Amino acid sequence: MNKPSNVLNKEYWRSLNQLADNEEYRKYLENEFPEGASELNSPMKRRNFLGLMGASIALAGLAACRRPVEKIIPYVAQPEEVIPGIPNYYASTIPFGLESFGVIVESHEGHPTKIEGNKKHPSTMGASNILQQASILDLYDPDRSQNVLNGGKISTWSAFEGFWKGMHKEFSANRGKGLAVLSRSFHSPSMARAQHDFMKTFPQARWVNYEAVSDVNIYAGLKIATGRPVQPVYRLDKAKVVFALDADFLYSETDNIRNARGFADGRRLKSEKDDMNRLYVAEGIFTVTGGMADHRLRVNTSQIINLAVALVHELKSLGARSVVADQTKPVQLPEKQAVFINALAKDLIANRGKSLVLAGRRQPAEVHALVYAINNTLKNTGNAVEYYTLEDAGIPDPDEFDLLINDLMTGTVSTLAILGGNPLYDAPADAGFDLAIQIAQHTIHLGSHVDETASKCEWHLPMAHFLESWGDARALDGTLSVVQPLIEPLFGGRSALEIVQLLADGTPTRGYEIVQRNWKKVLRGNFEHSWKKLLHEGVLENSASKPVGTKMKPAEIAKALNGRSPAEVPSAHSLEINFVASPALFDGRFANNGWLQELPDSVSKLSWDNAVLMSLQTAQALGVKNEDVVLLEFEGRELAAPVWIQPGQADFSILLVLGYGRNAAGRIGSGVGFNAYRLRTVKHPDFATGLKITPTSEVYEMANTQDHNSMEGRPIVREASLEEYRKEPNFAPEMVEHPPLVSLWEEHSYEEGYQWGMVIDLNACTGCNACTIACQSENNIPIVGKEQVRNGREMHWLRMDRYFIGDIDEPEMVYQPVGCQQCENAPCEQVCPVQATVHDSEGLNVMAYNRCIGTRYCSNNCPYKVRRFNFFNYTKDLPEIVHMAQNPDVTVRSRGVMEKCTYCTQRINEGKYAAKAEGREVKDGEIVSACEQACPTNAITFGNINDPNSAVVQMKKQNRNYELLAELNVQPRTSYLAKLRNPNPELEKSS
Amino acid sequence: MSVASNQLVEQETPLISGDQTFASVTEKISSIAEAKTPKMWYVAIGISASIMFFFLFLIGYLVWEGIGIWGLNIPVGWGWAIVNFVFWVGIGHAGTLISAILFLFRQKWRTSINRFAEAMTLFAVICALIFPGIHVGRIWMAYYMFPLPNQMSMWPNFRSPLLWDVFAVGTYFTVSLLFWYTGLIPDLASMRDRAKTKIRRYVLGFFSLGWRGGNRQWQHYELAYLLLAGLSTPLVLSVHSVVSTDFATSVIPGWHTTIFPPYFVAGAIFSGFAMVNTLAIIARKIYGLEDFITIKHLEKMNIIMLVTGSMVGYAYSCEFFIAWYSGNEYETFTFLNRAFGPYAWAYWTMVSCNVIVPQLFWFKKVRTSVPIMFVMALLVNVGMWFERFVIVVSSLSRDFLPANWDYYSPTWVDVGMFIGSFGLFFTLFLIFLRFVPMIAMAEVKAVLPQADPHFYHGNGHLDTAANTVAVKEGGKA
Repeated sequence: MNKPSNVLNKEYWRSLNQLADNEEYRKYLENEFPEGASELNSPMKRRNFLGLMGASIALAGLAACRRPVEKIIPYVAQPEEVIPGIPNYYASTIPFGLESFGVIVESHEGHPTKIEGNKKHPSTMGASNILQQASILDLYDPDRSQNVLNGGKISTWSAFEGFWKGMHKEFSANRGKGLAVLSRSFHSPSMARAQHDFMKTFPQARWVNYEAVSDVNIYAGLKIATGRPVQPVYRLDKAKVVFALDADFLYSETDNIRNARGFADGRRLKSEKDDMNRLYVAEGIFTVTGGMADHRLRVNTSQIINLAVALVHELKSLGARSVVADQTKPVQLPEKQAVFINALAKDLIANRGKSLVLAGRRQPAEVHALVYAINNTLKNTGNAVEYYTLEDAGIPDPDEFDLLINDLMTGTVSTLAILGGNPLYDAPADAGFDLAIQIAQHTIHLGSHVDETASKCEWHLPMAHFLESWGDARALDGTLSVVQPLIEPLFGGRSALEIVQLLADGTPTRGYEIVQRNWKKVLRGNFEHSWKKLLHEGVLENSASKPVGTKMKPAEIAKALNGRSPAEVPSAHSLEINFVASPALFDGRFANNGWLQELPDSVSKLSWDNAVLMSLQTAQALGVKNEDVVLLEFEGRELAAPVWIQPGQADFSILLVLGYGRNAAGRIGSGVGFNAYRLRTVKHPDFATGLKITPTSEVYEMANTQDHNSMEGRPIVREASLEEYRKEPNFAPEMVEHPPLVSLWEEHSYEEGYQWGMVIDLNACTGCNACTIACQSENNIPIVGKEQVRNGREMHWLRMDRYFIGDIDEPEMVYQPVGCQQCENAPCEQVCPVQATVHDSEGLNVMAYNRCIGTRYCSNNCPYKVRRFNFFNYTKDLPEIVHMAQNPDVTVRSRGVMEKCTYCTQRINEGKYAAKAEGREVKDGEIVSACEQACPTNAITFGNINDPNSAVVQMKKQNRNYELLAELNVQPRTSYLAKLRNPNPELEKSS
Repeated sequence: MSVASNQLVEQETPLISGDQTFASVTEKISSIAEAKTPKMWYVAIGISASIMFFFLFLIGYLVWEGIGIWGLNIPVGWGWAIVNFVFWVGIGHAGTLISAILFLFRQKWRTSINRFAEAMTLFAVICALIFPGIHVGRIWMAYYMFPLPNQMSMWPNFRSPLLWDVFAVGTYFTVSLLFWYTGLIPDLASMRDRAKTKIRRYVLGFFSLGWRGGNRQWQHYELAYLLLAGLSTPLVLSVHSVVSTDFATSVIPGWHTTIFPPYFVAGAIFSGFAMVNTLAIIARKIYGLEDFITIKHLEKMNIIMLVTGSMVGYAYSCEFFIAWYSGNEYETFTFLNRAFGPYAWAYWTMVSCNVIVPQLFWFKKVRTSVPIMFVMALLVNVGMWFERFVIVVSSLSRDFLPANWDYYSPTWVDVGMFIGSFGLFFTLFLIFLRFVPMIAMAEVKAVLPQADPHFYHGNGHLDTAANTVAVKEGGKA
């Protein structure tokens, strides 16, 4: 540790700025309030999470309300663009591996509070997914790393810079021999440039990109098929027939927003005369995409490749030319699968050029090569799928990672800089990274948290959040966008870009300069002007690359396939294990995000845990039931984890998602769930057969938010096939017969002014939960912790009901987002003894929190049970820094108060005021609810039902429109459009 | 009197046995409150008061931490607290029924039990009132429930059954208290006259409101008592009807039922009599009151339990019939779910205790056997608690959308508060037994044969039993 400099002793501080920002002062504060001191008085036990969120208040106080400028400006001289109470919106970009998501960030008086998609960015198109919505909370994570650490002791940036100066000199002399950088994958011109600079300074140095979860299989497959690792980008709106092989393209895989939007667009219909696409899915785990399928084939993940091979041959037998088929042997499929492939092949042929086959990231390279061949055969390339070369990209490479470990072991690499990753947690169990890192002489870790890796490194450097740093990114199609900070680094972190530049130059450069330097080469014309425009838009217009032409190498594909030994068929003694990134925590990097931890999984509805998911048959064969702890044995490694029965999972196959079981994630994520990485090996990072499961006598309690999975035959999610719909276009509203709904007295007419209403198109809804997290972020909805979720007290205003239909082994899955239905004749209002919930003139069922005394009668009488009760004071102990994530336009509710969806009443008012100030009516689409804005598939439409031209009225006019539980005469303002499936008549007949 | 009625009178055994005189009645009843406090009483109140203080502690804990310490969730927003509330209000009903309705119907046998049945009512209603008071999320704002004029012109919601509850139970408590106190005045005066210490004299003198037993006072008193009886009578029917509207006016299947008001009232009387029986059996044993609370009194109460128990049983089957007959799938499901779903254990406990057990009262032997009826009365109380549990919890736990379904189980605090409310109840009851005449002396005297104006004439209008007493009394005088 460095000796404290004499700044404090000798000089007086000159300004508040210096005092606040001075590292020495921070260090002093830390000594004054040592780590954990503030945790001592946090109330724990019952609501662990509150303890979890207790923070180092000292720093949070200093951190409050800072703007992304070089100096702090007090509001005595109010910045021109900041009006207290009126939020500002800035464009930025979330870099996420090779992807990037253009976003618009809402900022209140200098602190960002909400993230939305940027309409101009091709990968968000104005929408967002759960990870983007939740990433705002990461910014204010009180567990973020707050100090430079040297050997575990608090140090300073200047100390590190001094250290590196010496190293830089040394490595400059030997051209970087023995130096290595372990980076995360990136797709950014500035980063690529910094990497270039680094490699120029240290030509002998190693640069390795590593991701625990990535699309490397896809690139490898396309490399086999075309000779180049190109990036596929799907245009699902152009596909009439889609076949997904173990690909959760709608939810958890790459580019899911664009894919979901395209898919939904290809499925949207206005009346029974319209047509919709057809989705075939073959998968071993039950995914959101599988839930949307018109035909879902339950196949073990390891057997998926057989389907791909069979499809190639089937296409050939139907007359499609295929060299690959000529050079490979056909496979014998079980009858059910053969029928499926046969019907599918016919459908694909019939829709040549208007179809798409895609495989998931976990499938081996050969499958992706085959998929390329199939798409090529079907002339889909250039239509529903296009390929791009990845420029300025750091593509992850697991082989390089293995070599690096090897070099570390042999001492060839003595100095390792880890930029942003957490390999000690997420490296394969048998890679030996944990040993290798101990051998290295010098290790530097840049990370947002003092995580598993940080504690083993010599130096730890706090990493800035993307909302705190300058940068740039390319979307998968090459579109350039800029990462713009909205706030000064709260904890003095720096970005990976700045660190790479520091490593390369030996002296620090601010990210702003690095980025601007680069963009001066990109932007044409007046730089200042175009730069400002770029910052405003976030995206550089027309910067997308051109799709590249590819040439198929059928011989290579055939060779790769023929070289592959057939996969073992799983059995009770040799089960199949699946490693999939958690849709919520991804590879574990979001483990300390309370919103994502508490979010019930779309399919299993488990919250705060992962589990060994298996089919009922498998569980019966093993003699286990829900919450029984079992011992997993795989290639000599063991892990104990609880069982959860998952209908739709392939037999003799289990799924244990990655990302859980961290021990240094922070107060929220540490110790939650079970670490599947402990079984993941270099050879089998995705799935493998050979797992043994032994039951134990232990039981582990889990929190599941939906106890009952069947609709009990009730007309809740109304669904029909396209054929049935065409025969009976009014099937949805006619599903329930009831006497005329009359009132004893004259009801309020609601015919004047704005009347708010909502439509949710169940045919478009995929169940991705983006609305739930968007709502949580917008409306300051607290998290309550595992124990409270288990008690049935989760607070989500907008919940995602998931039902299974049909056979327990191979069920269909349907989703229904349910928030307050804003009944005109609301049962909750009649029973409240104190009139805390009443109706307003615009048809909203409003809550007066101040008036509520908490009888819970309204919730009892709500047929939809959308009301949420503050059983405890869930927000009292939130640290100051988490307060900054809260929306100042929405009341934070106290204990003992009922709350519920308001249709984002604060947004409605904001829109109305804006319109009134301009002396006009609110325009249709001007006010969007948070759920509507986030929805990747545009399934939610909100607006004025009194305006006959509004989108919401047009939607409600559709014949699929129905109101949930309308027979109770509650007259809900939210209605649903019935779900449709488009099964292949041929397969329908056979089944 | 006609011959027929004469014969009827002749068949009746006297209401009070043991050859009581006015003096012996006063002596027997007053002495219980006047004698040195028995050791057992201290033990009893020690136990019940500890439980009561535990209850108060739990209330403090609840206010401090929040409703979350209970087992409630969404969808089950009401649990044991509301079950206990309905349970205790129901218990109270027997007291008012005995004192008011039986009074109006000239059921003279009521005089032996009405005093402590009324006391039981008061204490049960106190226990009942605590639960809706503390079950709200923000107890410090509970005054919003009252129509207090305020500068914002905010009124409570007069459409809400919870508000009706506030008025109904509030009125009920007030009237019951007045009725009980009015009935107490002559007895307090008797005790005042017997008081040996100054403090006793002053305290009893204060509460007996200057009662001298004058003719005019009796005239006023009788009228007041009659009026209060008339006032209480509709309350017997209305209170539990209103309580039942908490459920009946809602939209939840299993709650939304028009049969609830009469069904709740019958159930309330049923449970109330079971409680009176339980307490009476204990009190008559401990204080040797077998002459005042005779087996005949107990038998009559058992008959009422048989009748109301059958009414309750009818209501259960009627609900099932309507659930099927209505063709409403949600309704049908709710009732099948009650009988065969996750709460089936509670349902069948309820049916066994409330429907099957009271049917044994058809047998005279059972009706008149004190140990058997004691056990049965306890079972009925258990059954009636479960009835409320089944109604409140099983309906909420599985309503319209299966995605919301959840199981509710109580926490130790829920259980502790229920037990604690018994501590409160018994503490109040023990204080009552110790300091107040537990049997209405003045009223009992009025049903003694001596009270008959013709008693001393001995002109053959009276039955033989009365005559023998008359001879005795006359001899004494």
